[in-house]
Amino acid sequence: MQYAKVYAEDVQVGAEMPPLVKPPIQQIQLTRYAGASGDFNPIHQDAAFAKAAGMGDVFAHGMLSMGFVAQSVTDWLGVGTVRKVGVRFAALVRLGDVITCRGTVVAKRPPKDGDGPVLVDLELWAENQKGEKVVTGKATAALVSRG
Amino acid sequence: MSLQIDTSIKGKEYPPYAVTVERGKIKEFARAIGDLSPFYLDDAVAKAGPWGDIIAPPTFPVTFRDEGADTGVLLRDLGVDIGRILHGEQEFEHFKPIRPGQTYLCRGRIADIYEKSGKSGPMAFVVRETTVTDADNEIVALMRGTTVVRL
Repeated sequence: MQYAKVYAEDVQVGAEMPPLVKPPIQQIQLTRYAGASGDFNPIHQDAAFAKAAGMGDVFAHGMLSMGFVAQSVTDWLGVGTVRKVGVRFAALVRLGDVITCRGTVVAKRPPKDGDGPVLVDLELWAENQKGEKVVTGKATAALVSRG
Repeated sequence: MSLQIDTSIKGKEYPPYAVTVERGKIKEFARAIGDLSPFYLDDAVAKAGPWGDIIAPPTFPVTFRDEGADTGVLLRDLGVDIGRILHGEQEFEHFKPIRPGQTYLCRGRIADIYEKSGKSGPMAFVVRETTVTDADNEIVALMRGTTVVRL
């Protein structure tokens, strides 16, 4: 039997993902993410640049929020289970925002061949402290059966 | 008058580029997100785990950049300033784990460009697709990103 953090049998359609609450967004995290990701767009670092570009102030990289959303899935179903994750960036994430990632299981697909993994489809979103959705998306995770 | 962009680059293929995944880069990336899973950060724990080593988080391929195919090139191709772009959508598909020390080949292309009027005015949507393959020429990951240009 293969080890898994969560087995296919443990996840039912309609189940809610445990929410992932991230610490408030700080400038240092955006600077750190710029270095780690290679996205040095000054709009995430330089308030004067962001203002001149008509964005008011700096805002977080969309990819940072997507990283949170991916983490919410792997925290629940296990690292290495994500086959597909796709998001739309619905609203800007600003300094001080507290992002909570949430999701529900919308489908479970049996293995195509006998002993393959079960595919679990999730609807996902991330919201700020005002309950506004900043990211919406979907993911598919591959889970093994207890066998 | 709104900004005109060069839509003739639809279908353009960028020169393929190779990236070698550094162990420290995986850890730096996971820590920047605040994802402290030992399967990304702890060599000893990961060695005893399902992959025999650390692997990269799902959004890690966003670090697979090259001067010949990066956003700077896209901006020059479109004739757009960096202050006008936003990230609209992003998708990753994974077929094999991304491992430290491995060299991957990335092939990027402009899959689509279209214009649309949004609540904040006219916008252009540029869809970039990148295919990531390994040394066995097997597909490891697909990335599909939509950049929004405020026209």
